[in-house]
Amino acid sequence: MGSNMTASPQQPDMMGADVVWDGMVRGYAPPEVLSISPRLRLHTAEEPEVDPISYEVIRNSLQNINLENGHTIQKLSISPITMINRDFQCAILTESGDVMFMGPYLMYLANTLGLMTKWVLENRSESPGIEDGDVFLCSDPYVGSSHQQDTELTSPVFWEGELFCWVANSVHYSDVGGPAPGSFCLASRTIWEDPPLFPPMKLVERGGLRADMEQLYLRQSRVPATVAMDLHAALAGLTVSRQRILKLLERYGSKTVKAVMKRTLDAGERAFVDKLRMIPDGRWSERIYTEAAVPGDTGIYISQVNITKNGDYLYVDNEGTSPQIGAINNTYAGFVGAVLAPLTLMLAYDLGGVCGGVSRRVKFRPTPGTITCADYPAPISGAGVCNMPMVVATATGATAKMVACAAPPLRDKALGIADVHAYGGWIFNGINQYGKFFMAMHSGMAPGAIPASPGRDGIDTGGQDWVPGMEASNVEENELSWPVLTLFRRENRADEAGAGRYRSGVGAEEAWILHGTDSLDTQVYNNESFTKCQGLLGGNPGGRAFFRVKRDTDVAARLAAGRVPQSVDEVSGEEIPLFWKGGPIELDRMSVWTLNLPNFAGYGDPLDRDLELVTRDLLEGMTTAEDAFRAYGVVADGDGVVDARKTQMEREKRRRQRLEDGLPPREVRGLIRPLEGSEHRAVGDRLEAVRTPRGIRYACTCGQDLGPEGADFKDSCVVRETPVDAIGPGYSSFAEEMMRKMCFREFFCPRCGARLATEVARLGDDYLWDIDLRLSQGRQDPRERDSGEET
Amino acid sequence: MGYYLGVDGGGTFTDCAAMDDKGRLYFAKATTTKDDFAAGMFDALSALADECGTSVPDLIAETERFNLGTTVGTNLLVERRGARTGLLTTAGHGDAILIMRGTGRTAGLELDLLFHPQATQKPLPLVPRALIREIDERTDCAGNEVVPLDEAAVEAAVRSLVEDARVTALAIAFLWSFKNPAHELRALEIVRRVAPAVYVCCSHQVAPRLGEYERTVATVINSYVAPASAACFQQSADRLRRSGLKHPLLIMQTSGGVLPADKAIEIPLTSLGSGPVGGLMGSLSLARALGHKNIIATDMGGTSFEVGLIINGEPLVGEEKIIDRYRYRLSQLETTSIACGGGSIARIDPYSRSIRVGPESAGAEPGPVCYRRGGTEPTVTDADVVLGLLSADGFLGGRMPLDREAALRAVAGLGEQVGLGPTETAAGILRINNLRAAELIRQQTVVRGYDPRDFVVYAYGGAGPLHAFAFAQELGVKGVVIPLGNGASTLSAYGCSTSDLVLNVERERLFFAPFPADEVNSLMVELENQALDSMRDMGKSGHEVEIERFGLMRYGGQWLHSLLVHVPPGELTAEDLTAVVDDFRAMYDALYGHGAGVVSQGVEMVTARIRVVARLQRPTQAAQEPFNEAAGTKGRLGTREIFWPDRMERLESDVFDGREIGPGERIAGPAVVELPYTSVAVGVDQMLECDLFGNFLLRLDQPAGRAAGCAAAQRPAAGALLWAAT
Repeated sequence: MGSNMTASPQQPDMMGADVVWDGMVRGYAPPEVLSISPRLRLHTAEEPEVDPISYEVIRNSLQNINLENGHTIQKLSISPITMINRDFQCAILTESGDVMFMGPYLMYLANTLGLMTKWVLENRSESPGIEDGDVFLCSDPYVGSSHQQDTELTSPVFWEGELFCWVANSVHYSDVGGPAPGSFCLASRTIWEDPPLFPPMKLVERGGLRADMEQLYLRQSRVPATVAMDLHAALAGLTVSRQRILKLLERYGSKTVKAVMKRTLDAGERAFVDKLRMIPDGRWSERIYTEAAVPGDTGIYISQVNITKNGDYLYVDNEGTSPQIGAINNTYAGFVGAVLAPLTLMLAYDLGGVCGGVSRRVKFRPTPGTITCADYPAPISGAGVCNMPMVVATATGATAKMVACAAPPLRDKALGIADVHAYGGWIFNGINQYGKFFMAMHSGMAPGAIPASPGRDGIDTGGQDWVPGMEASNVEENELSWPVLTLFRRENRADEAGAGRYRSGVGAEEAWILHGTDSLDTQVYNNESFTKCQGLLGGNPGGRAFFRVKRDTDVAARLAAGRVPQSVDEVSGEEIPLFWKGGPIELDRMSVWTLNLPNFAGYGDPLDRDLELVTRDLLEGMTTAEDAFRAYGVVADGDGVVDARKTQMEREKRRRQRLEDGLPPREVRGLIRPLEGSEHRAVGDRLEAVRTPRGIRYACTCGQDLGPEGADFKDSCVVRETPVDAIGPGYSSFAEEMMRKMCFREFFCPRCGARLATEVARLGDDYLWDIDLRLSQGRQDPRERDSGEET
Repeated sequence: MGYYLGVDGGGTFTDCAAMDDKGRLYFAKATTTKDDFAAGMFDALSALADECGTSVPDLIAETERFNLGTTVGTNLLVERRGARTGLLTTAGHGDAILIMRGTGRTAGLELDLLFHPQATQKPLPLVPRALIREIDERTDCAGNEVVPLDEAAVEAAVRSLVEDARVTALAIAFLWSFKNPAHELRALEIVRRVAPAVYVCCSHQVAPRLGEYERTVATVINSYVAPASAACFQQSADRLRRSGLKHPLLIMQTSGGVLPADKAIEIPLTSLGSGPVGGLMGSLSLARALGHKNIIATDMGGTSFEVGLIINGEPLVGEEKIIDRYRYRLSQLETTSIACGGGSIARIDPYSRSIRVGPESAGAEPGPVCYRRGGTEPTVTDADVVLGLLSADGFLGGRMPLDREAALRAVAGLGEQVGLGPTETAAGILRINNLRAAELIRQQTVVRGYDPRDFVVYAYGGAGPLHAFAFAQELGVKGVVIPLGNGASTLSAYGCSTSDLVLNVERERLFFAPFPADEVNSLMVELENQALDSMRDMGKSGHEVEIERFGLMRYGGQWLHSLLVHVPPGELTAEDLTAVVDDFRAMYDALYGHGAGVVSQGVEMVTARIRVVARLQRPTQAAQEPFNEAAGTKGRLGTREIFWPDRMERLESDVFDGREIGPGERIAGPAVVELPYTSVAVGVDQMLECDLFGNFLLRLDQPAGRAAGCAAAQRPAAGALLWAAT
């Protein structure tokens, strides 16, 4: 498909008939019953009854113990990515490695701690053995980390000779080796061009830090002193939580505490099932396109997540996803962790981080050998800047469409996509203003933006929902550490990007020049050829994330003249055409560069946006009259006064225009004829499911029939395909060739012209059948029915 | 007669405390007047004059010191009633206060909400975008000018903000101004010339710390509250002067000290949130007399639970504060709070079938069910009433009868859902609430590397003395002090009255170890001179002023962590500074475990700080006449049945009128001591003793034979020495 890449090589002597999910060739997927050495005694006894009061007292303590693990890491670590951006996670796990609590940090890491711990139980209980005071370290994504930089520690807590539970954390370490500073090796084609993998090894043995193992790990790094500080912070976090758990056991007894742990998971599971019961059965999908498997590649690749809901279970697969390739892969551990993040945010928001109950009801069936469930020896180190956010985004889209079909109030919990797979990341290195080598990760995604929902606008620079505690560093903190000067850091405007009945919160842009050094090497940046953030249920897609560089500028002269440039367009000079994934670039004293974290997904048709909301944005300076006209068809004067009558006329004109411009429906239908007294179920913004004498059918709120259950309603829509850069001025990039491979599709009701769905899609790819309700009996997928356990 | 007064006002009540020159203490309260702070203060003074047996004019005329703490500033901020404030900031950085570092949704939120994006929102902006003006100017991280200040633009911006946008306060916050304040100072001159009537302040003066977001927030909040705070301080000072006050009015600061009103008006931010600090200083003053070195000072009211720490005789200094999700950095005595108090609501978690308590609160309106003001969900106070810890007719000295039946119905209704009886449910609510209080304390101590067992809890505020017997037990602390007994509900006012003149002067400047002795010396001397000059302005100099030096230190790169390390006085040598670095490493290891630090990692000093204190003379508190054992107790009111949640037992328990408990008197639990504004619970096997200064000391594990009520077996006194120091 236009790619100059060939699929990843396979390692011949590891391939064979018996490829299993054991963490060697294929990611580790733990069996229902773990195979553990009989030498290791697990504590499983629990009190049959715990009174509701003691339960709450112990649950609350465990939750706080886990937070203390996180606080300790945050306090004592020194890499900004950990202490400020909260790129870490910590967990308490049951004796058999089920995650009980996670902290308000990077959510997708939580489940990987469970996988690693289960793997340790299965593979390390015999040799070297699992003993009191041990800590295991793992950076092998085929076992349980999301990429090598996210190195995980897990430590057993023993009680009277039995393994009672585990405490664990995962921290992003600044550099763990490999050819690229920062260890994101975006040109790798195999794992042998990646940082080394450390399958679980014993870093601490019965309480004593093993100098050989510590050095083995640190020796790989370009910044061993920094990594050592962070590693010690992570160890201190484990020590704190282990000691407190032991005190809890002394006080309340191990059987009572164990009963509380199990009951907390059971309660989380019940809460999750209750939510599932508000959602009809069906299958929902999201498809996100990415590009460039390695620098220079012109291929386009797909991440797809499909969620099937059948009764009280969810089944998640990645059918439709591209085969593994280049450096854009993640393993099973990453896939599962990423999918659980949006499920937790939209369906377990009230559990305070108890994610273990949720995962009991979600069955994962990804296709191996794909970019989102890669087999060895696919390189994984780049996953942190591409795949992991991409899978979170894909899973968010599928989850949001599912939740939007739920009965209220659950429906309003649906949350559009925050696709940071363009990530706003910038990794660079050089000599700093103090004459020392430095390496830095700047997280442009940290100011964040909360996407739109069915009930409200998103939140401007409201952080990242899937990293709840994330913070952006101050400009001054950056300038103190790195030889740069920030020209500006400002909020985007609410323009076409993320427009909708409810709009996304706005993102932010930041621009720099060098200061105190002569040059910098930039290792990682992302300049999107086209937006990758799909809109939700008729909403506009998110904006295009960009990284722009101008060379030979007159910025010095402008500063000398007393003006601080406030846009890259303002300075003279030559803009370097940057692509989604370029090679390293050098920045010099004449360079100006900027990074934009765009607005994310909008919800619903922008022509349905309430005029009061547009007025508010105009008055608060969040949007201009021109933007409001282009994005919303709103006619306003320069003072922000909206003309309701002219607006209505403009909107009517645009709805008519849509039907004139678009391709006719594949299936032409008439008016819906509902059964007397039957309720209409909202399954989108204007899309409904209606019971009729001919069975359940999709319809627009205007009364237009959009086809039967079991068919794609999009086939009954007028469809308009336009180039992606026609969505709005910000959607255009240098990468003409890549942009022209894609299109923007809008699906309109053939009667009223309302926009029911949008897709950014590769030209020629079929419509994504993303909503498939299974309200009628007998429509369940037999694959799911076979294995769906009864509750 | 001379009086030493403290007032803490602006909340529901305005509290007063006074000590006369014989060392006797007096307390009084009055309802705060919403729109006229001074009126409420004079009501309270009138009540206080009654207590002292004098008139208001005589009381004021004879007052030697008048220290005032208020929540006026906090109220303005939380209710968004502050000045219409404009912001002048560096071109390109006007959005810093809007972006809020991406934490505007989440800063300071309870954990449970962090996983629930739909339940979060940013706060209403303190300065809307329309009132932010970006000025061309730039300074770099070394303090060098990169772009000169566009003075014409400053003037134009000020004119448009003042004349068109009608702002009444301005904040100036430029990048790196704490390294080089030249641009801010020049802009300040322009503002003063163009708009002399408008309040204005600069970020390098308000909060000279790294981090433009927090520094801008501090500056904006300062301007936002300044005009009304200044008016409040000024009006109070004027009215007091007209009423005959001979001395300057002193305003309580979050540094734990006071400043003259005319000085406090300059930067009102440092008096924001001084109420909780007043309580902490009151605890400190008493702790010195009692010989307690490590204190957990706790204030439990209707909705919140505030905790401050005193370590080795020194209150813990914090560097950061969050108000309404806005964060700023300011050196202040650290107090932390969670929503946990008498009004915390109990609910059933439907999935685990267990009881949750808080963080939702019924507050004062509608309040607990038993208040009969429309509350329907059971609260901690309702549980207190059901168990008998609070009596329905003894609340607030009998002025507010409580509806026990309604409380019982509400608690019973909750219990039924999980198969518990009303008593078990009420006991459970208290156990959970006490656990939450204990958890907060544990976080504040353990996370900093301290063991709560080395501490004494001071419990005050309306709901504190009633619940301390249980949460203190939960922590295993050495004992509990109900400071000043009946004065426990006005402890903040007492604390204000005991505070000295304190000034912190600091400069953020990065030094890498080994520190350059000459540069550190010249910086320390410069800061000391600055501090001493200010003290001289306040009439204090020479040996009246104590000087302390500190360095905020960390391992290279630890932006979120620093330790306050003492720096020796005088001319520093390289060896002195090496010793400072060694002290830091030793402190770090002591706090986070040996080996937590990495020897190869460099150590940095980020901030040099001078703290100058001028001790204000005051009488020593007079010891009261010891309790006459032969005459027996006068305070015993009788007995009532109380169900003790820690024991899960219903016991006939003694009830006392706390006002009649004399020094040396001991009360063995189970018992309740009722006071006009609070009650003290004495659990089973616990012993309450009144000391010579009217403090109630609660021993957690000390039954004793010589008790007013029941006798119990004598056990070895684990914490006995602790109490001997009076």
